[in-house]
Amino acid sequence: MAEESILTDEFLRQLINVGEADILVGVPTYNNAATVGQVVQTIRAGLLKYFPRERAVIINPDGGSRDQTPDLVRGASINDLEATSDLQALRTLHSISAEYPGGASTGAALRTILAAADLLRVSACAVVSPESTTLEPEWIERLLRPVYQGNFDFVTPLYRRHKFDGLLMRNLVYPMTRAFYGKRVREPYASEFAFSGPLGSHFLAQEIWVHEVGRSGTEIALTISAITGGFRLAQTFLGVKPHLDARSADLVAAMRQTVGALFWSLEPNFSLWSSSHDSQPVPTLGTAPEVTLEPLRVNRKRLYEMFRSGVAELEPVLKSILPPPTLSELQRIAALGEADFCYGDELWARTVYEFAASYHKAVISRDHIVQALAPLYRGRAFTFLVENREASGEEVEQNIENFCLTCERLKPSLVELWNGKK
Amino acid sequence: MREMIVSELTQATQELIREFARFLPRLMVMLIVVLVGWVIAYLVKWVLRSFLRLIRFDKLSEGAGATQLLNKAALPSSTELVSRFAFWTAWLGFILVGVSALGILGLQEYVTRFFVFLPRLLVALIFLFIGLLAASFFSRAALLWAVNTDMPSPRLLSSAARVLITVFTASAVFEELGLADSTMLLAFAIVLGAVMLGLAIAFGLGGQDLARRFLEARFAHERKEGKEKEDELSPL
Amino acid sequence: MPLSQDALWYKDAIIYQVHVRTFYDTNGDGIGDFRGLAQKLDYLQELGVNAVWLMPFFPSPLRDDGYDIADYNSVHPSYGSLDDFKTFLQAAHERGIRVIVEMVLNHTSDQHPWFQESRSSRENPRRDWYVWSDTDTKYQGVRIIFVDTELSNWARDPVSKSYYWHRFFSHQPDLNYDDPAVREEMWKVMKFWLDLGVDGFRLDAVPYLVEREGTSCENLPETHAVLKEFRAKLDREYPGKMLLAEANQWPADLRAYFGEGDEFHMAFHFPLMPRMFMGLKLEDRKPITEILKQTPQIPPSCQWTLFLRNHDELTLEMVTDMERDYMYDQYARDKGMRINLGIRRRLAPLLDNDRRRIELMNGMLMSLPGTPIIYYGDEIGMGDNIYLGDRNGVRTPMQWEGGWNGGFSTADPESLYSPLMLNPVYGYQAVNVQSQKRFDHSLLSWMKRLLKVRKSTPVFGRGSIEFLYPANHRILAYVRQLEKESILVVNNLSNSAQAVELDLRPFKGNILIEMFGRNIFPRVGDLPYLLTMGPYQFYWFRLRRI
Repeated sequence: MAEESILTDEFLRQLINVGEADILVGVPTYNNAATVGQVVQTIRAGLLKYFPRERAVIINPDGGSRDQTPDLVRGASINDLEATSDLQALRTLHSISAEYPGGASTGAALRTILAAADLLRVSACAVVSPESTTLEPEWIERLLRPVYQGNFDFVTPLYRRHKFDGLLMRNLVYPMTRAFYGKRVREPYASEFAFSGPLGSHFLAQEIWVHEVGRSGTEIALTISAITGGFRLAQTFLGVKPHLDARSADLVAAMRQTVGALFWSLEPNFSLWSSSHDSQPVPTLGTAPEVTLEPLRVNRKRLYEMFRSGVAELEPVLKSILPPPTLSELQRIAALGEADFCYGDELWARTVYEFAASYHKAVISRDHIVQALAPLYRGRAFTFLVENREASGEEVEQNIENFCLTCERLKPSLVELWNGKK
Repeated sequence: MREMIVSELTQATQELIREFARFLPRLMVMLIVVLVGWVIAYLVKWVLRSFLRLIRFDKLSEGAGATQLLNKAALPSSTELVSRFAFWTAWLGFILVGVSALGILGLQEYVTRFFVFLPRLLVALIFLFIGLLAASFFSRAALLWAVNTDMPSPRLLSSAARVLITVFTASAVFEELGLADSTMLLAFAIVLGAVMLGLAIAFGLGGQDLARRFLEARFAHERKEGKEKEDELSPL
Repeated sequence: MPLSQDALWYKDAIIYQVHVRTFYDTNGDGIGDFRGLAQKLDYLQELGVNAVWLMPFFPSPLRDDGYDIADYNSVHPSYGSLDDFKTFLQAAHERGIRVIVEMVLNHTSDQHPWFQESRSSRENPRRDWYVWSDTDTKYQGVRIIFVDTELSNWARDPVSKSYYWHRFFSHQPDLNYDDPAVREEMWKVMKFWLDLGVDGFRLDAVPYLVEREGTSCENLPETHAVLKEFRAKLDREYPGKMLLAEANQWPADLRAYFGEGDEFHMAFHFPLMPRMFMGLKLEDRKPITEILKQTPQIPPSCQWTLFLRNHDELTLEMVTDMERDYMYDQYARDKGMRINLGIRRRLAPLLDNDRRRIELMNGMLMSLPGTPIIYYGDEIGMGDNIYLGDRNGVRTPMQWEGGWNGGFSTADPESLYSPLMLNPVYGYQAVNVQSQKRFDHSLLSWMKRLLKVRKSTPVFGRGSIEFLYPANHRILAYVRQLEKESILVVNNLSNSAQAVELDLRPFKGNILIEMFGRNIFPRVGDLPYLLTMGPYQFYWFRLRRI
């Protein structure tokens, strides 16, 4: 079978003109006309300000946008010296944009960026989300400098977040990634990250690209492959994480991209995660992340109700996923009133582990397993919100840390479940 | 007269004996064919099973997800299933060949028709199997979707999906077996109509709430926008 | 070969810049002289240049390499006599080589009799010929040019107990061009040399002639008025002579020195030169196209003068701070290579003695719009000696052969005005005219071919330029056009092979003829014209419709 080509001819033609480069910034887009212009300008400013001498290129793989996204990216490349008088460019800074084949998918876009980085033999490559409205030129430096100086291979971000923002990350993705792979990477599913040339080639050689995880949830798969490959990791503080429009956020899709990809990764990496027990911190550059506390009115009731109805309605599905003790425990707490309800650390950790094991055994469709976790997660989120209602930033952090330790402690039970018969 | 009767009887007896004598070898042939057929079919089963084990067919089918499907349908392992199926097909074939060797008029025709009918039966069985699996899959998918989008009565929706797909499967199976005459069609139409009516009533009753919520959201959108924003939490 | 009668001769010129002291010594005193220069005219003719720019050769205390003139109407005794000069001038003209003389208008030496008179008393009639003040507070905020040596633009004169104005070294008092007598006297000086037959002047430090309170004292309208006055007289009395401005300014400020074709004929394009080096190092055409984009149109009778290196430092005044830091880091890592705001090195060492880069830079020098200047010795790839003070490291004797004193002089090596280059890479035994003449592949032989091709068409000197912007930024491509003749120039600024697609649709149907080998390249069609280029390679194509 002939190796499929990742880059289209059009992309390749543009890359020939860029030639060898030192730094690459990738902006994967799909209908991002509202924000992409500003983002690309900021990236340009960051590159000109902090990497004036390096050969840099901005690459925009587009998923077939129907708005003006690619034009806006190219348009940002026309003004060089004139518009921003305080920033002068020593070199030509290319911004190239081309559509990748196969329809919009984060994985395909990332793969295009990786292929371009590999082809241009860049030393450092960063990926920036076109929706990062809080992006500042400094982010570019903070992401790329540690890699470009050759000190680190993979740099993930740390953000300033509200204590109730990023619930999925705090209650599931971070603790579980940490428990499985033993590295305390706070944002394993990041919209901004940077990696070195050798790591980029390593990513490209991974097997993920032929699987679903090579299309969505690729970010977390890359993080995991950086961890399992033994690369040098760092975290860098960027700033305020842009708050995504809540109404457009789809929990099930997010679960698929994060939990689905995480569960999927357990299969090929079994020998690695099953033998490690604790976790190591990852070097953190810049100031530590802060938690903002301004009051936020949240409708917790809905989470609670959806958990209750989920446990009730999904009983036949949950039966095939969870062992009876866990299921009956869930049914017990689902019967509690809103005031008494508590989905504790240990029960939650056990639930996730049992889901992971069932995912491994594919007792029912794997996608259904991931979907069935969503209502349970809502219950956990409810408990998190209640517990931390009055908590300070430090207390929130401490609670998350405690949960992580619980996960690490319960990990041997997953290994047992994994190998045992159902 | 007596002599005539005796001679007739003798003749008849002789005829019978002759007939029997003529038939006996065929019976013997049939029995031998069936016996040999059993041996051959058993050998086929044994060789096939060994071969499938050698190539780790179970692992393959596990990778393809077939094992899980069989588990769910309470069927033995795929290797076993395939080898047993081969055994029965082969032996049944031999039995029928043996029966036709009896040379009984009309029976041969039925045997031929059976052999013609066999592939259609097989296809119908596969249809049934796939259909039942699809019904279970889609009913679960509907259930999960309904739960995760906070739809009312997820179980009802799930059951409706299962019934619909089962009915469609049944119709396809009958069609394949050539039994889909007008009565079948009528029966199907009645069942479908009943299901649809049931669904309509169910949705009508259960959907009241949903419809109200939808309309509220639609027409009171601007008024509630600020509140909604606080209500919803970004899952990420 | 007689001189051409074309009044625009300077547009077709290739100028060779030389200091008489450095070229050839005939009397064995260790210092080059006019007789020596005259003897070496055949070499210059063979090289292919058709003009020589002589740096100051007037009597002088030589505290600023002759830019501190003590007598404008004579020749420094070390270089010979005025008669020697006349002989040289005649010999040059016989070979079709014009002679451009350095003229320092802005200031004199403090040894000049005019200054001696001026300082002697406040009542002296020549008191007003210089800029005097009782305080050192006038013209505050005017920048100091020689930042490494001077602290102020004012110096106190102990004789007359007052301050005099000097933009350069303190031993170079500025003349006062507000005094009509000074303007008259300087015109007389120019007349003196024009009457001898020189073909033009390179006027030194022209932006600084006039001072006004509250200004930068540079590029003032009054200064332009003085220069226009000289030009008017020149046109009236000596048609066909040329004025070349040395004004190290941004292109927009430089533009004023051309007036409406009534001030200077030519001016140096200072900002371009460092950007050529920068573009080469960055492997990016951006600095070059950017500065040429900012370069204003000049009157049709006027011309830019281009150079790669000269007797001064590679000046980085006309670049941004970021660009200057980059240039220092790339071309002058050793602090000893830096002086003032520039780099005191020669062409070959700047380019790591890389023949391909030397050729590319010379190729661009000869094909970009303007009159090119070759600094003596760069045609054979001479090196520099950064351990000699000031800018003397790029002013070492010309290396003629591998023998005694490199063939420059018969004097004792110790008595030469400057030590010769001795190291095994750039020393006279490795780099000299004699050995390079013998081999076809030498830099000297290559330069001769380059100059020959350049002179084969007036397009390079007089044509328009239009840049092509192929998407590959390592390729600098432009079309030079004069009437019906078009030349396509493609330069690969990078150290690696490159593919480039050129949009040549306006020239559809033309065939390309490579000008050095005269080989034919495929006809231009509708598709982008694909060229592959080796490292630092350049092509000159004549576009012909056949």
